[in-house]
Amino acid sequence: MLAVLAGPRASGQQVSIQLENGAFRVTGWIAPPLPRARGAAPAQDWSSVFAVYTGPADAPPLLGTYTVEVGTIVFRPKYPFASGVRYRAVFRPPGGGAPVEKIFDGPSRATTPLARVDNVYPTADVWPANLLRLYIQFSAPMSRGEAAARIHMLDAKGAVLAGVFLPGEELWDPAGMRLTMTFDPGRIKRGLTANMAMGPPIAEGKLCTLLIDREWPDARGVAMVEGFRRQFRGGPADRIPPDPKTWRIAAPKAGTSDALAVTFPKPMNDALLQRMLWVATPQGNVDGTVSAAQQETQWRFVPRTPWKPGDYQLVVDTAIEDVARNRIGQPFDVDVFEHVTQHIATKTISLPFTIR
Amino acid sequence: MRRNQLPVTLRVTLIRIAAGLFVAGVLAFTIAADATDNLTAGKVDLKSAGPLAFGTDGVLFVGDSVGGAVVAVDTGDRTAAASGAKIDVQGVDVKIAALVGVTPDQIMINDVKINPVSKNAWLSASRGRGADATPLIVRVEPSGKVTVLSLDNIRHASVSLVDAPESKATGRGQNPRMMTVTDMAYVNGNLMVAGLSNEEWSSALRSIPYPFKSAQEGATLQIWHSSHGQYETQSPVRTFVPYTIAGKQYILAAYTCTPLVKIPVSDLKPGAKVKGVTIADLGSGNNPLDMVPYNKDGHNYILVANTSLGVVKLKADSLETYAAIDSPTKTDVAGVPYDKIGELKNVQHLAQLDASDAVVLTGKPGPGPAWNPGPSVGPMNLQTIALP
Repeated sequence: MLAVLAGPRASGQQVSIQLENGAFRVTGWIAPPLPRARGAAPAQDWSSVFAVYTGPADAPPLLGTYTVEVGTIVFRPKYPFASGVRYRAVFRPPGGGAPVEKIFDGPSRATTPLARVDNVYPTADVWPANLLRLYIQFSAPMSRGEAAARIHMLDAKGAVLAGVFLPGEELWDPAGMRLTMTFDPGRIKRGLTANMAMGPPIAEGKLCTLLIDREWPDARGVAMVEGFRRQFRGGPADRIPPDPKTWRIAAPKAGTSDALAVTFPKPMNDALLQRMLWVATPQGNVDGTVSAAQQETQWRFVPRTPWKPGDYQLVVDTAIEDVARNRIGQPFDVDVFEHVTQHIATKTISLPFTIR
Repeated sequence: MRRNQLPVTLRVTLIRIAAGLFVAGVLAFTIAADATDNLTAGKVDLKSAGPLAFGTDGVLFVGDSVGGAVVAVDTGDRTAAASGAKIDVQGVDVKIAALVGVTPDQIMINDVKINPVSKNAWLSASRGRGADATPLIVRVEPSGKVTVLSLDNIRHASVSLVDAPESKATGRGQNPRMMTVTDMAYVNGNLMVAGLSNEEWSSALRSIPYPFKSAQEGATLQIWHSSHGQYETQSPVRTFVPYTIAGKQYILAAYTCTPLVKIPVSDLKPGAKVKGVTIADLGSGNNPLDMVPYNKDGHNYILVANTSLGVVKLKADSLETYAAIDSPTKTDVAGVPYDKIGELKNVQHLAQLDASDAVVLTGKPGPGPAWNPGPSVGPMNLQTIALP
């Protein structure tokens, strides 16, 4: 194959390498006609003549496809150009002679900070000692792999509390804008060695501060506009399952688009409030917009069209959790004497209300 | 020392090969077609590449958490390995970065598995660290050659892990719920998939028959485990491995809060509420990453790589005698005894190569505190090690 490539001569002009419209081109050297007209040559053959490198000397060349367009070898990288990358394009004349090399820089890095922490849930200023999860809502997509270094929990004196969060996978939403942090369940679950040796991650009655570093890069690699700091107090552990019988439903008036408000005696898991409660009639579910209010102790539902008079149901997925992961009829850790088999088996329960 | 051990290892290997040939023979008799017959050629719509598991005939299962699916891909990697081939690739993340044109800090390696036929290492990775990162499936050969598998036109099949959509009002537009696949294993014609939701806290272990059937989500199991006989709780399985104890097939599952639990496979029936038996508690502030069971010098062991505890070797000769942990005896560990393997440092992933070897991906710990360093910032090395 190389012998075939070595056949044609340079066109007389100096050989140079250009980057145009995302493709690297060798000009001043006429590529031989391909055995298969206008088709791509096998990549391994062309890469010995013309290759683009972005890594160290012993690293393989960039992946991409080769074509010959009007006698010019063209290399198109398989992946988009990346900022911070230096592209070294090397043409090695098949008949011998000095290689021709040219360096291109990838797009310049973004520098304008855009991201900030919009909110952290739960929003209450007292967190139960057995709080299981935090949701950190960012205003822009963020870089993964940073949480361990960028999130800190401080005690009242500002000292870092170790071993608070569960190490391991970062749990992001698909948009990369909401991170779920889990407190070490080994310290929350009664009876486990960690719980007995270290106690719960949040100490009852103590002031703590959640600190998120400004240096956390967003998905573009740019630090945030500002860091985030919130002080809270540790409250008593909550092992009481949510009980819908204690929820208050405030039904709006017919003909209005006022919010239906359901008030709970304690904060609920914000993410689950968005999808585990809904409004139904015998004709089907009612369309509308959900929000949480009053530090996640209230669920609000605004219908898309004004309320019609009649009987409605508030449908509750029994998998809904409070902030300490107690579920309806099922606390987080069950004392075996309470018998595991007595858990509620139904998937939903319905609470009736009437619009007048 | 190792030469003296060889006959025992060889004997074990030969017994395993004989058993494997027998099983393969039975499978060949009962399933005339190979495992790739149900796969169709085309572009794989992979949104992310997380945990990996090998089936038979070079079929690689890829957990796609962002896409809410598992994809079976025909790697075509079916050439039996030359014996004794070892992998030693320094800076494997740097090489992958060079192939796909990013700086090495933009490569995250998510899993490592060995093709049992070819003994090539297969890695899942992402190009980029944001939500729009490109998934990569990478092959690393003992020769050191690193290849990115093209997903543009390859035989594949996928199965959705997303629960049936329900007509509900949603709070904030795009559904932010995601089930992160934490581990997978192919057991007796079923793909077992462990997942961790970013919203509700539950234990979901799915068993999906392969070949995939349309809309077949498989059985979802609820697994309970007790701690020291006092409390019971549901918790997500982080990593697991099929294991035979006294002739009975089990799944050994390690939870996020590090109890190690044995669950009889015969209990894993659709809709079943299964109660596992806690046989070890590896202590606090730790997350198990990978487990490799093996036999050495006539004894059974399980090598467990952890986020903060490092690599430990569980003595697994008498797993059938370890009943549920009834009372905590020590503050750090209870149940099955184990040794820390201090010479294996900074292990990010651990995969079984054969009866006596494993492959480890190591890399400098991430920038977080010692108890939670976070993912390695590289460079990362892929190496064959002798099982300790």
